[in-house]
Amino acid sequence: MREVKMENTHPRDPKKTYGLMELVKGTKPTVGLKPDKMVFTWPHVLIREMIIFVSVSALLLVAAFFIDAPLEAIANANLPPNPAKAPWYFLGLQELVSYSALVGGVVIPGLIVTVLILVPYLDRKKVGIGIWFAKERALANSLFMLFLVVMLILIIVGTFFRGPNWDFVVPWEAVKGH
Amino acid sequence: MDLKISAVKTYLNDVFRSIFRYGKMPRDAEGQSFAVFNNLFLHIHPVKVTRHSLKPTYTFGLGLISAVLFLVLIFTGVWLMFYYIPTVDEAYNRMLDLRSSTNFGFVLRNVHKWAAEAMVVFVILHMARVFFTGAYKPPREFNWVVGVFLLLLTFGLSFTGYLLPWDQLAFWAITVGTSIAGYVPVMGEDIRSFLLGGDIVGQEALIRFYVLHVVILPGLMLVLLGVHFWRIRKDGGLAHPSENEDASAGGGE
Amino acid sequence: MGYQDDAAAKSDVDRRSFLGSLGWLGVSISGLIAVVGNLLYLKPTVSYGPASRIVAGKPADFTVGAREVFENAQFALVREQDGFAAISLVCTHLRCTVRTSEAGFECPCHGSQYDRNGSITGGPAPEPLDWYKVGITPNGELEIDKTVKVSQGTYFNI
Repeated sequence: MREVKMENTHPRDPKKTYGLMELVKGTKPTVGLKPDKMVFTWPHVLIREMIIFVSVSALLLVAAFFIDAPLEAIANANLPPNPAKAPWYFLGLQELVSYSALVGGVVIPGLIVTVLILVPYLDRKKVGIGIWFAKERALANSLFMLFLVVMLILIIVGTFFRGPNWDFVVPWEAVKGH
Repeated sequence: MDLKISAVKTYLNDVFRSIFRYGKMPRDAEGQSFAVFNNLFLHIHPVKVTRHSLKPTYTFGLGLISAVLFLVLIFTGVWLMFYYIPTVDEAYNRMLDLRSSTNFGFVLRNVHKWAAEAMVVFVILHMARVFFTGAYKPPREFNWVVGVFLLLLTFGLSFTGYLLPWDQLAFWAITVGTSIAGYVPVMGEDIRSFLLGGDIVGQEALIRFYVLHVVILPGLMLVLLGVHFWRIRKDGGLAHPSENEDASAGGGE
Repeated sequence: MGYQDDAAAKSDVDRRSFLGSLGWLGVSISGLIAVVGNLLYLKPTVSYGPASRIVAGKPADFTVGAREVFENAQFALVREQDGFAAISLVCTHLRCTVRTSEAGFECPCHGSQYDRNGSITGGPAPEPLDWYKVGITPNGELEIDKTVKVSQGTYFNI
C-alpha cells in the first residue's frame, strides 16, 4: 500500500483555525452518532406514522358505521336513573366516593395526581431506561402495575357490579332478571 | 415560440421552487435530510432517529395513536359545531337531527364519540408504556409532568363533552361528577358553581361546558402538546438503553 | 479615584437591579389582579335557574300529615301538628333527586335513606336533607324561599 500524506492532498490553510483530520468511507453524515443505529425520518418514521393515521381513521369509521353512540331520553331533573353513574373512567372514583365522599372524591385523586407528577423527581436513578420491565426497576414497575390493576378493578366493579341503589349485583344475574 | 415556452417553464419552475425549496422526491441522504428540515410540518421530527425507537414492540405507537385520535376529534368536533346549539331547548333535538336527518351526521357523532373513548384509553396506555420502560428518567422528567397534565386535560375534555348531548346519561353523569368536586374542602362549592355557573345543572352549566369543551381545553391541549412534542426532540428523542449508567454492558440496539 | 469609580459603578448596578425588581413586582401584581378579576367574572352572581321563591298555595289546602311534592322546585311541603315545613328533595350525597317513601325519603342513585324529617337512616349521605324557610305572602299564600335554609324542626305556624 502506498502511503498518502494528507498534507499533500488537502493542504492546510494557515489562516484557518480548523483542519481536516481524517477521511472515511461513507455517504451519510454520522457526526457523534452510531451510524448503524440511526435511520432517516423520511421515509422510516413518516411511513409508519401514515400507516397508523390511516389505520386509526379507518377503524374509527368502521366502528362508527356499526356501533351507535348512546343517546338516552332528554335530560330530566325529576327522573334520576337508578343507579346514576358518572362516565366510565370516573366510576373507580365513584366507587370510592360511595364509601367516603371526601376520601374517595378528593383525597385519593389528589394524592394520585400529586404522586404521578412527582414520579420522575422521586425515582431518578438512570437504570432500566428504554427497556420494558427492566429487572432493576422491578419494584417501581410492580407498584405502578398494582396501581393500574386496582383502578381497573374499581372501574369494572363500578361499571358492571353496581346495580339499583348502588347495591352489589352480579351482571349475569341482572340480565337473567330482566 | 420554443423560446417562449421554455421561458414560461423556467418562470413556473421558479414559482414552484419559491414554495418548495427542495422540490423533488428525496432519493439520497441529502434529500432525506431536506425532507425533514425544509418542511414546516415535518420539522417536528429530527432528521434521523434510532432504530430502537421504531421497534413496534417498544412504543406500540401508543403516543402517536393518541395524537392521531386528538386530530380526528378536532376535525369531527369542528364539523359537529356547524349543527350543534348549546341550549337546553335545542341541544337534544340537534342530537336527534344528527342521527336521523343530517347527511352523515351519525358518522361524525359516532366517530367523535368512539375517538374520545379511545383517546382516554390510549393516553393511559401511553403513560403505562412510558412508566414501564423507565422513559421518564432524566432528562425527560418534565415531559412526564407535561404528560400528566395532558392526561388531566383528556379527562376534562371527555367530561365536558359528556354533557353536551343533554340526555339523561349526560345530565346525571355531570350532576354526580360535579357533586364529587363539591366535596373539595374549603373551595369545593366554589369549584362546583364555577363549573355549573349556578347551583344546578342547567342552561348556565351547558354553555360553560360547551365553551370549555370547544375552546379553552382544546387550546390548552394544543399548547401543551406542542411543548410535549418539542421536549421529545430536545430531550434526545425516545428513551434509549444506551442512556443507562451501565450502558457499556450492552443494552438493546 | 479608581476606587470611587468602582463604587459608583456598583451602586449604579444596584439601582438598576432594584428598579428591575420593582418592575417585576408591578408586573406580577398586575398579573395577579388580572387573574383574580377574570375568575370573579366567571363567578356566577345572577341565578338564571328556576325561581328560588315558590308560592305553594293556601295553608288550608294542606291537611295535617300531608306531604306534597313540588317536582320542578325539588322540595316537599310537609304539614305536621307543629306547622309547615319545606324539605329539600336534593340528596346530600351526590345531588340526585330523592323520592318519598313510606319511611321518609330515599335516593335511587346510591341508596341513601332519610326519615320523614330528612335525617339520615342509611346509605352514603353525609348530611340530612335541607329545610327551607316557609313564609306567607300578603294575600295569605304559603311561600317557600329556597335561598334560606333553616334548621331541622323549624316549623312555620300561621
